[in-house]
Amino acid sequence: MDFLHTLPNNLLIYVIVAHLLFGIGLHGMMFRKTLIGILISLELLIQGVGINVMAFGTFLHVDPMAARVMTLFLLGIGAAEAALFLGIAVAVFRNCRTISIDKLTQLKG
Amino acid sequence: MSFERFALDIYALSFAVLLIQLVVGAIMAVRSQSLVHCFLGLVMTLVSVAGLYYFLGSPLLAVMQIMIYVGAVCVAIAFGLSLTRKTGEEGTRKYGLAVLVPPFITLAMLGSVLLGLSEREWVGYPKKIDEAAIGQLLLGEYLLPFEIISILLTVAVIGAISVAIIKRN
Repeated sequence: MDFLHTLPNNLLIYVIVAHLLFGIGLHGMMFRKTLIGILISLELLIQGVGINVMAFGTFLHVDPMAARVMTLFLLGIGAAEAALFLGIAVAVFRNCRTISIDKLTQLKG
Repeated sequence: MSFERFALDIYALSFAVLLIQLVVGAIMAVRSQSLVHCFLGLVMTLVSVAGLYYFLGSPLLAVMQIMIYVGAVCVAIAFGLSLTRKTGEEGTRKYGLAVLVPPFITLAMLGSVLLGLSEREWVGYPKKIDEAAIGQLLLGEYLLPFEIISILLTVAVIGAISVAIIKRN
């Protein structure tokens, strides 16, 4: 029971969860069929990175403020990337009538 | 059972529920056949990540996570989803040997991190810090990254608009 009580203050749990989220996101990026599915997986991957940065900044004796600022920048970059990705997805759909990555082979040599 | 112990139980239990919600949401976001279910799984995961930020002692980041991701990015994804939806194209591709690549990369990263941290104490208690100082830091020490990221956001939004309004030939 004492182990359960220290659960929210255990660095190991945060690191494992962050890596798990990263792995699941990577799996999704490799195996989804559409651009939107890939974007969703990419967001999961970025969240994993964010948890990792915050956990290290909080538990190891580095500057906790730097970790917070870096995670804030990560959120901003994630939002910018999502906006650009959605714009490209909509443009691709209007030109090709599909966003399935198996059919988007115009740039293939 | 004393009241403190009961409160501690509830605290730990809510953390465990949060972790379960995070993992279930992530698997749902990656494995569902319908993209709408993927989207719901993403929202579940993002909300529980906000909860994790709160447990890590940063209410500011939890609020920012809810506002930016659940409030803005998810709404944008929902619109993109409904604008580009086409039946028969959703779902996942066939698995091959490549399914082993993500676990391999993840385990390698996790192993190296754990190896590097093996000397450390795992259990720690986050210090209470004054998060109001982040505003000072953003306009002082981190001014250049802050300005660069604002330019990046502007460029990304203008780029997204100009890419999306190209007429079909």
